[in-house]
Amino acid sequence: MIAFLRFEIVRTLRNARFLIMLIAFPVLLYLIYAKQHGTSQGLTVATLLLVSMAVYSGMGSAMFASGPQLARERHNGWMRQLRISPITTPGWFAAKLVQSVLMIIPGLAVLVVLALTYGHVHLAGGRLGTLVVIIVVGTIPFCAAGLVIGLMFDSQTAQVAQMITLLVLAFLGGIFISWSSLPSGMQTVGKLLPSYHLAQLGWNAAAGRPLGMSHVAALAAWTVGLGAIAAWRWRQESTAA
Amino acid sequence: MFHNVTKVYNGRVTALDHVNFEIPRGATVALLGPNGAGKSTAIDTMLGLRKPTSGEVRVLGMTPAAAVAAGKIGGMVQTGGLPDGAKVSELIALFRQLYHGRRSQADLLRLAGLTDIADRRVEQLSGGQTQRVRFALALAGRPDLLFLDEPTAALDVEARRSFWQSVQAIAGQGTTVLFATHYLDEADANASRIIVVSHGRIMADGTPSQIKAYTSVRTIRFSTPAPHTSALLRLPRVNEVVASGEAVTIRSGDADATLPALYALGMPVRGLEVGGGGLEEALIALTGDGGVAAGAADLGEQAERAAAVTNSSDMTRVG
Repeated sequence: MIAFLRFEIVRTLRNARFLIMLIAFPVLLYLIYAKQHGTSQGLTVATLLLVSMAVYSGMGSAMFASGPQLARERHNGWMRQLRISPITTPGWFAAKLVQSVLMIIPGLAVLVVLALTYGHVHLAGGRLGTLVVIIVVGTIPFCAAGLVIGLMFDSQTAQVAQMITLLVLAFLGGIFISWSSLPSGMQTVGKLLPSYHLAQLGWNAAAGRPLGMSHVAALAAWTVGLGAIAAWRWRQESTAA
Repeated sequence: MFHNVTKVYNGRVTALDHVNFEIPRGATVALLGPNGAGKSTAIDTMLGLRKPTSGEVRVLGMTPAAAVAAGKIGGMVQTGGLPDGAKVSELIALFRQLYHGRRSQADLLRLAGLTDIADRRVEQLSGGQTQRVRFALALAGRPDLLFLDEPTAALDVEARRSFWQSVQAIAGQGTTVLFATHYLDEADANASRIIVVSHGRIMADGTPSQIKAYTSVRTIRFSTPAPHTSALLRLPRVNEVVASGEAVTIRSGDADATLPALYALGMPVRGLEVGGGGLEEALIALTGDGGVAAGAADLGEQAERAAAVTNSSDMTRVG
């Protein structure tokens, strides 16, 4: 599994263009908006936006690291080749999950550095540390979402499905626009989404408030649910067809 | 190994129809048949990539899944792609590690003829090179049983030759090899046994020489002013005589025995032609359709084909 993980990381890193594109958009947004004045939820705009963009970049990296690539490799036959090798299903899933989580780190690092310098964000070391851990661990359900998309869609539609999912998560989860300004029906839906819960956790950590165990529970539930769907699709594909 | 296996797709298309065969360890066996015959389905089933609708498949005395997990079988599947962004050497190193280094990197590169392109990225490879990489991956575990599904489809003549040399070297080390092909010469040259498949059924199963014995049926055509059919029928090894005006067609099991006797009859023979023979003719005959590689299908040969099909029942008994 370690060998497989290393192999996957090496070849993904080689695709630097893909990595840069993943990071560029949230970084650009941060550069545009971080200088605005004002406070919200007890946080300055620069801090608030650090959390939003870190969540957005984390979700995007986690999903793009697995989804479209998986769909493409199911299509081109690489997955068939892997299935007849001794790599185990749990080993494969674990490697993909770790790979997705590691993909989050470059974007997160760039945003944190930008916030501390360009954004003049002052966060106590403890709060910043908690925030980083939350983003890294909290994106696991999005890795699972990427796997589900990669296993449900074909190579052409996976990219689009991913993009739409990401935008829905970002808008309804209150990352691009304030959640409270959404119509009430959308608020109800948004409040169910993992992006909402991850963002809330992040803002709470940055503001030094109690994190809120309900958010943690919601993210865990999403992980289990999406993981089960991915496992089901995987089994279905390996036994049927 | 393959017991009464049926595979039905979508409840409609029957890819394998109650197929039975068993392959002894150490043998090199060809699955020969036209496209859509069920060769790939059979191989996928033995690799555990597909589940049979009914019947039982055992490889090396276990289920395909168990054999895969134990790293005892290797396979080159027909649509096995490679992942973007990886180098040839990295891909082979990965598979070596998955199989706990049972074969050295240098060995694998050499066996598959990849030494010169080890540093090349996968997406820069030609079709033939990709195929050789997949061959190396299939060998990485030093498998007891190796499946090759149309392994030379994208290879040029030279690459094909060195490919089969490597396969023979591996078979020489005791690996059982089962390969699918629609190249008849390939089956003949590289297998100790040929299983002919068509429409999901086994049409013939025997050694290449048994299959070729069947193909020794020749068609002798000539014209003569007044054909004496019954005399012609008594010639050695003649199965059938068709006379139409001056044109005569004789089907013989051994043209070398028939021809001298034909001339000995003293009847005037003009424009004599001997046709047929070769595995391709046999395959067309056995599978009863022209879907085979060089499937020549002019009207004259339609009749020939139909006649040969009746004989195919004999062939199945041989196996």
